[in-house]
Amino acid sequence: MTMKAFVEELSARFEVLWTHAQRDDLFQFGVPAVQAVPLLSYLKAHTPFIQLTHYTVVDWIEDGEFQMTYLLTDPVGRRALMICARIDRETAEADSLYKLWPQAVTYEHEMNEMFGIHFPGSPRMGLDFCLEKWTNTPPMRRDFDTVAFVKEMIPERPGREFITTRDYIGQKVGEKRLLHDD
Amino acid sequence: MTTDPSNLVEGAPTEVNPEKDVQLWIGPQHPGITGNMSMQIWVRGDEIRLGRTHIGYLHRGFEKLIERRKFIQAFPIVCRICVPEPDTNEYLLAASIEELAGLEVPEKGLWLRTLVMEMSRLAATIQALGGQAGSMGLGLVPNWTYTLRDYILDAFEELTGGRVYHMYTVFGGVRRDMPDGFKERLEETLKLIEKRLPAIDNVVFDNAVFQKRAVGIGVVKPEWVDEMGISGPTARGCGLPRDIRRDFPYLKYGEIDFDVTTHEGGDIFARSMVRRGDIVESIKIIRQILARFPMQGRFCAKLPNMLHWEVPKGQTFVRAEASRGEMSYYAATDGSDKARRVHVRGPSYVHAMSLLERMLPGTIYSDMTPMMVSMQTCPPEIER
Repeated sequence: MTMKAFVEELSARFEVLWTHAQRDDLFQFGVPAVQAVPLLSYLKAHTPFIQLTHYTVVDWIEDGEFQMTYLLTDPVGRRALMICARIDRETAEADSLYKLWPQAVTYEHEMNEMFGIHFPGSPRMGLDFCLEKWTNTPPMRRDFDTVAFVKEMIPERPGREFITTRDYIGQKVGEKRLLHDD
Repeated sequence: MTTDPSNLVEGAPTEVNPEKDVQLWIGPQHPGITGNMSMQIWVRGDEIRLGRTHIGYLHRGFEKLIERRKFIQAFPIVCRICVPEPDTNEYLLAASIEELAGLEVPEKGLWLRTLVMEMSRLAATIQALGGQAGSMGLGLVPNWTYTLRDYILDAFEELTGGRVYHMYTVFGGVRRDMPDGFKERLEETLKLIEKRLPAIDNVVFDNAVFQKRAVGIGVVKPEWVDEMGISGPTARGCGLPRDIRRDFPYLKYGEIDFDVTTHEGGDIFARSMVRRGDIVESIKIIRQILARFPMQGRFCAKLPNMLHWEVPKGQTFVRAEASRGEMSYYAATDGSDKARRVHVRGPSYVHAMSLLERMLPGTIYSDMTPMMVSMQTCPPEIER
């Protein structure tokens, strides 16, 4: 069965919003956020797409949405499905995959810290992942201003005295020998 | 009493008792820890009751930096995600953006990329095998393997101009052609590695100390592989022939003849045996690349001005087999001259976090380091 036919079959059970064949072994499609976890549960239980290979989020700030991106691999059939579901950027809440794939805990822990997305029921929400007691805007959000943060948090050092190579050699050997323009 | 509901080990304790269990922090400054991470463990006597991986000591915000820079400026960033094996990251960044931009790489560029990918796999695998022996007190072997790795770094220096970080892969191909006489000099290095392998067998695999500390220790069950997304030698050590080079062929791997090394048992010994086999296969692959390498033709496609290069809106996912397992990149573009999102997922994201935490309960404290080394856990690829 082709990937396109496979996704068409899926669309009888779930609302598929758009589809795109990126490569022969990679098919992408979008679903409403409420259907994402039921769809992933179905794929894991009834199809060869059993491995959660990638799980991340993209900040589409201009649309006011986050795109949750799930990548499932069929290790035997050697193909992959990329499933995209958009959630509201303000509420920033998505269903957890922790009960389906235990390693999802790490992904969700990181997304919670870096994007401020809450996954109800996921065990490590609110705990530090790699930042320490972070209270600012979640740093991977597009509206987090890295330059302003650095200016606020890190005092500017005067730096070293700047001297050009030309001036340095001029001081050492004399301007006349260096310039060759006389 | 502390309880952690995310601990999923069947039959293992999910709670610790402060009156009986001692909490230990190991790392990040500790010779037994693989890189800049720390382990928080609770032990009762010698037995680990619960373990947690802590990262954050090396967070440099690579993914955020990439979003704020032009595509070509991302190469000096991504190679630093993995010190022993930077070429995988360079290739994956290039492959993902080239796919979205519709940029074709010339034949010679593909062969050169395959060559550096396999050379870096070989260097990292040799280093890991020495590190495994060193973690059990067999200090002679790392001396041998680091010397051999250094010979490969010499070859990298000649080919790319850099020893550790190469920044050799660029969009459209690679930066430089193969120098004259490089094939012969690389062949000499391969012969040196082959010559040393029987001695490594004697000192490591036939050694009762190594066997005692590796057989039956740090067991990964085959059913965990798909459930947790385990890959590389850790999956192949469970007897499962999982290899991205064969399962999802990229570059020239589809045209090259090689075997996927597997071993039964799922323990440290099995993973080390897989690495021993991987060294032989990598040498075989490099010899085929050198024999079939096209001396004529372009090594890089004609490129647009990289400082004004805009990539059409899209998203994709690419993967490659690093020495530690599957390395993959998700890239999304928005039609501008910068990436909207690049997400890096290295094998340690699973191996050092959820898998290690799953394996630790019930383990003896002194086995923790060999277990971590056997999975080549690498913090920079967790906290990018």
